[in-house]
Amino acid sequence: MTTNSIPADGDPRRLLADARALARQVRIDQRMTWAALLVLGTTTLLAIPFDWFGMQVDCHPDGGCTFTRQGMLYYWPAAMVLAYTAIAVSYLRAARARGIGARVLPYAITGAVTTVVFPAAWLAVHLYFQSHPYPDSPLPYGLLVLDRLVMPWGLIGVALLVLAWLERNLALLLFTAGYLALVLLALPMNSGFGPPHFGLRAGMAVPQLIAGLVLLLGAAAFARAARRR
Amino acid sequence: MTSVTSSHPAQGLDEVVHQRVRLGILTIAHEARRVEFGYLRTHLDLTAGNLSKHLSVLEAAGLIAVEKGYEGRRGRTWITLTPAGTTALTDEIARLKQLIARVETPTTTTDR
Repeated sequence: MTTNSIPADGDPRRLLADARALARQVRIDQRMTWAALLVLGTTTLLAIPFDWFGMQVDCHPDGGCTFTRQGMLYYWPAAMVLAYTAIAVSYLRAARARGIGARVLPYAITGAVTTVVFPAAWLAVHLYFQSHPYPDSPLPYGLLVLDRLVMPWGLIGVALLVLAWLERNLALLLFTAGYLALVLLALPMNSGFGPPHFGLRAGMAVPQLIAGLVLLLGAAAFARAARRR
Repeated sequence: MTSVTSSHPAQGLDEVVHQRVRLGILTIAHEARRVEFGYLRTHLDLTAGNLSKHLSVLEAAGLIAVEKGYEGRRGRTWITLTPAGTTALTDEIARLKQLIARVETPTTTTDR
């Protein structure tokens, strides 16, 4: 005989479907997506005054200006460590209160790596331009996008991608794809924009304000969806 | 007679794991890394006594570790999957998929 009798309770399709449903429920119970977006959105908005007051602008007689965003360098590495720690702790506490554990290690590692990437990229660019002249022509578009990716707003998107993978969260994946498209392709995060009378500092603040508000709106939407569940 | 060259997937099923509740416990413990007794009871819709019996079977088989402690004044029981439990769960899921595939694939062997 090649067929074994399997009790109704052991029907393979039902067992597999039940196991998948339970695994999915656990993942949903572990989610604190809104908290992660709230922390990252708040961190982004808090960066604006640091960037504003920490920016060194030197304008030359020919009308051209050079600027260094020192405030970002001092603010973001510390802010990222605090933000990712706060997110990891909130995930652990919420999961524990619900009676389950949480997978935060990959997210913590991503947070640590992205925290290092930004100052490392800044240092590399700083050292490069100490021995090389600033280019007269605009940078190629690909380099501009790469520059935006290693900036804190791009790295937030990378961390959110990891979170979406950890949570198997399609909604967060779609939100993150939209967010990354915004900060990498649409918003001039590294040059700023706005009406001519805005000036350099206000022009730099506008895209940061938009990115922060998008994250906070995402937090509100995910919180609402979580409450409905 | 039907000629069989490989063993039927059902022959490799682990009786300890091949059961709805116990497979559920292992699945939740695997996904959650660590799960509290009350969470299992709620999500598997079991009485405390019934769940305890299933946990005892899994613990005796070395598939889970049970840790009892307190959080404030409240007693808490946490369940974690052992490496053997992870292997047993992975094997069971693979066997179930094989069984389903075997049922869904048209028979190619011929009776002689």
